[in-house]
Formats: sequence, structure tokens, C-alpha cells
Amino acid sequence: MISEPTQEDKPMSIITTHNLSKVYNPDTVPVHALRDVSLEFEEGEFTTVRGPSGSGKTTLLNMIGGLDEPSSGYVVVDGVRITGMPDRKLINFRLNNIGFVFQSYNLVPVFTAYENVTFIMLLQKSSKKEMDDRAHELLDAVGLSSKLNSRPKELSGGEQQRVAVARALASRPKFILADEPTANLDSKSAMNLLDMMEKMNREENVTFIFSSHDQRVIDRARRVITMVDGAIYSDEKQTPKRTEPAK
Amino acid sequence: MYLKLAWRNLWRNHRRTLITVSSIMFAVVTALFIESLERGAHNLMIDNMTSFHTGYIQVQDYRYDEEPSLDNAFPFDEAFERRVMEMDERIEYTIPRIETFMLAAGDVQTRGAFVLGIDLERENRLNDLENRLTEGRFFEPGDGTAVVSEGLAGRLNLSVGDTLALIGQGRFGMTAAGVFEISGLMNHPQRDMNNQLVYISLPDAQWLLSADEHITALLVTPSNARYSDSIARTLRSGVEGEELSVYTWEEMMPDLLEALEFDRLGTRVYMGILYLIIGFGIFGTILMMTLERLREFGILLSVGMRRLKLALVVFIETFLISLLGIFSGSILGFFIILYFMRNPIHLGDDVGELMVEFGFDPILPTTLASDIFFWQCLIIFIIATLISLYPSGKILRLNIQEASRK
Repeated sequence: MISEPTQEDKPMSIITTHNLSKVYNPDTVPVHALRDVSLEFEEGEFTTVRGPSGSGKTTLLNMIGGLDEPSSGYVVVDGVRITGMPDRKLINFRLNNIGFVFQSYNLVPVFTAYENVTFIMLLQKSSKKEMDDRAHELLDAVGLSSKLNSRPKELSGGEQQRVAVARALASRPKFILADEPTANLDSKSAMNLLDMMEKMNREENVTFIFSSHDQRVIDRARRVITMVDGAIYSDEKQTPKRTEPAK
Repeated sequence: MYLKLAWRNLWRNHRRTLITVSSIMFAVVTALFIESLERGAHNLMIDNMTSFHTGYIQVQDYRYDEEPSLDNAFPFDEAFERRVMEMDERIEYTIPRIETFMLAAGDVQTRGAFVLGIDLERENRLNDLENRLTEGRFFEPGDGTAVVSEGLAGRLNLSVGDTLALIGQGRFGMTAAGVFEISGLMNHPQRDMNNQLVYISLPDAQWLLSADEHITALLVTPSNARYSDSIARTLRSGVEGEELSVYTWEEMMPDLLEALEFDRLGTRVYMGILYLIIGFGIFGTILMMTLERLREFGILLSVGMRRLKLALVVFIETFLISLLGIFSGSILGFFIILYFMRNPIHLGDDVGELMVEFGFDPILPTTLASDIFFWQCLIIFIIATLISLYPSGKILRLNIQEASRK
């Protein structure tokens, strides 16, 4: 049920995966996490990769983010082949091109919201003024301008995830990979987070690629890729819809 | 920012940090105390031996070392003394001595005695001899009295006011015999010396032994003990061509040096075991900390932190922990050492007796020497730093994806 991509006015791909395969334990009990996955992602996409647990969603995102090496195939990001790239170059590449949002937020616990955001820019060696302006702008955009000096433990799960999004955006990445970003959030926080990310996608053309089996996330996406047993089962465009949280 | 991150990370888990700091502090205090105790005991031994026996440097006739006889005494006068003093400005003062073995007799008993002709005023500067007096008074130069050690006086059944006869051989085979009134009894810190020592004034000894204006040794006291070797070298070149030899206390007491070295070796082994225990203690905490934080390390690497930077942050954390431990350990160690310096440990009956038997005070004092603090802190610091290489190495080899899954 894979839909054929249309060729009309197709914008340039920002991410391309070529026949990606990943086999864990190839010498003992082989586990095929990815099977020959070829995909293209364009700038400004708001895409969800869905599928049951063990379907290869996270593995795919890890490959795209350069966090894992495929057993075969390769990934090209913005014209640069990142598969096989030396570790140091890859870390730099990730820092400047890819934003990550994790399921369990993974903020630096000893830093405030403001410091968590500026930390990434510090790694990029941005100027102090630039860091300060960007951190204020982003935390304002995610609705946390009043919690600049709060540490993660003083924030709710939803607030922490919003800081994580601000952190992911701080480095002005080409796209953001969000692995199950709503999994630990209540309905209201999840909706707020998705609203915020959708707004950034719409207004600032930030590319988001989610991995999720949360229906709320799937509903919001304009493209939904379904994975089963490590392979692409379907790849469809859809009209996003907003599911209101249950009262 | 990295320093801030490291510092705040330290206090994320107060208990773990405090346990690590405490283990380093304990290590520093123990190492300082053991080293200071050993040095204090050694210093006391050296001090006893140099003060009451050899002094720090001696000038002797070159034949005296091989044949310690009055025949090998050498001429001594003010001019010679002045010349020696002028050879090195770090010489504080000199002490002339004449010494020989004689028979000491009371009414009914006769014993072998070690007779020392001394300049009391100058001896006092070196060993506070007058304070060892337990009864009576010390002599005036040439007043024909003697101070006898308590042990010898007991064996001869003599006390203050009694007459002591000294019989022996003077210089070049002259008969040496004289009677001295006992003006005082004294307690010598070394038991064997306490059983055989007779002090008389230098002029009396020179007269008794037919050794006018001669002495057997000139003790040279440096302004600081650590100048002994270099002053000895200066003196050697200063008396070159004369029939004199110059010795440092180490050269005069090789047996003591060997005993101290043997003792030091034992302490080194003990310290080595201590460092090993301390090292494993610190390593255990650091290992726990590293394994607990693998996921965090993985995330930081995922978001773009370089491995070396992250390793640096973790290194700074261990560095700060070490610094805190060493600083607090040094302060605590300082006060503990100071306390035991002022209130030395008194050894119990059996061990104390044994110490006295060997001629040492039955106490274990500590010493506050800056080099002990420097070296012990440095060693502990190096141990802690080497241990911090483990998490740094782990970070450099970390599989980001596996770590992020933990």
C-alpha cells in the first residue's frame, strides 16, 4: 500500500536514505531492525513514522540522526553522506544540522531552562549576545519565558519537553528528530507541545520527523510513514487534524 | 560553562560526592599522619643521637676514626676555632670535646666509664644538658668536680658529694688518675650511656689526660640541620692539607641510618597498601558514578557535545572532588598532627622499655613538615587523577546509541 510519490514541483530532499538495513547480532541470532529502507524527506515536512514496538521506528531515526550505523545502505543529509563519517566530524555535523527531542526529555539536570538552551549554542561557539537573544526568543516561543531560571526538576513533564524542543531548535538545525516526544506527557501537555511544534513548522518552516505510535501525533502529521518489521509498509500524505484532549 | 557544569554535577548527588570527598580526606589525613609520625620519630632519634652523641658535623684528627685514642687528639685553640667559624657563615657555633674510656671507682666498686670533657655552656646550646641534671649542680670550668650519670652512680653506689676516682691512660701513655667530687647526677636519655657516663669540665679533662690544648673532636653546629652536608664539604676543603678529617652525623652513625632506612621501607610498604585501598575506594565511587551516568553521557554526545569536552567535564568533576578532599584532609591533618606534636603518643610499658633500651625516648612525636604535606597531597592527587582517566576513557569509547538506551 505504498503510495507513489508525485514528481510535480518536488522540492529538494533534505534527507535521503538509500536501502538502509540494520541487523543486530548477525553472527548469533540475527534481528532485522531495518530492511532495505529508502526514503526521502523534504524541507518543511511534518512527518510521523509510526508502527508497533520493534517495527524499527527508533532505529530509522537513529540512522538519520547519525547515532547508529546501518549494516548496509547509507544516509545523505543535505547532500552530505553521513554514513561512515568519522566520529568527530559526525558529532559536529549533528550539532550544526540536527536537533533531537527525546522521549524522556534528557535535559541537563543541573542547568536551568535558559542554560539548557544556551548550552547547545555554547558548543557551537556562538557569541554571548547571540546565545542570550536566541534563548529568550525560543523559550518565549515555547511559552516558558517565565521559567528561564527553573531547573528541570522544577518543571512539569510538558514544560521539560518544551525546553527540549527549544534546545533542539537552538542550534538552528536543518531538521528535528523527535523520538516518542509525547510518550511521557498527559493529553493536555501533549496537545500544547504539538501545537507549538506545528506552529514552528508552519511559521518558521522547521522540519520535524517524529517516531510515534501516539494517535495524537499521527493525526497532526502531513505525512505518515508506517513501518512493520523493519520495512516501510506505507508512506502516505494526509490532511492533519487536531484531536482535542478528553475532558 | 564547563566548570559550572562540572561543579553543579558534583552536587547532584550530595551523598556520593561527600562519600568520595570523605574517602580522599581520610586518605590524606592517614597518609599525612603516618608520614609525620615516622618523620617525627626519626627526627627525635636523630636529634637524640646528634645532641648527646656526635653532633651534626665533627672535625677530628684524621687517624681518630680508625683509632679513637687520645694519642690522636688534635690541637685546639681560639684561633683554630675562629678559622673554622669563618669557613662557612652558616655555622652557628662549635663545641670542643675530649673523650676517653677510664676506670671509675667509688669506695667499693669499679666500673668502666666513658669520660667526657666538655664546655658546659656550649653543650647546653646543643642538648640542654643542664636540664638533664636530677640532683646537685653542674661544675664550673676547672673546679675539679664531676657530674655522673645516674646509672653509673648507682652501680658505684655513689651520690652527690661523694668522691669519684678516675684511672686510665692519658695522651702518649701518660698515667691519668684523679679524684673528683661528684657535684651532680644526671639522667642521660640513652640507657647504655646512662650507665657509664662521667662529665668533667674541658680544662679538668685536658689536665687529667695530659692533653693540654688538645681535644678529640670539635662539633660543628649548623644554623639548620639541612646545611650539614654542604658545610661539611666547605670544611673539608678548608682543612685540606692538615691532618684533620670532617664527618657528618650520617657518616659517623651508618648503623642508625640503616635502621632508619629499614624503618622507612616498612612504612613505604604500609603506605603502598594504604594507597591501594584508597585508590580502590575512590575508583569504586567513580565507577558507580560513571555507570549511573552513561545514558546522560550518551545524550550529551547525541546533541553535539564533543567526546573530549565531555571527558574534560568529568575530569574536572574528579579534579574538584580530589581538590576538596585534599584541601579538607590537609586542614584536618594539620590540626591532628599539631595536636600530637604537642601531645606525643607515649608508648606503653613493654614497647616503651624497649625504646629506652635502645637509647630512645619512649614517645612518638609528629612533625609538621611542609614537604610531607606537599608529597602526600600530590600522591593522593595523582591517584585520584589516574582514576579519573577511567570515566574519561569510557566516554571516549562510548557507543552513543547503546548508552542512550540505558
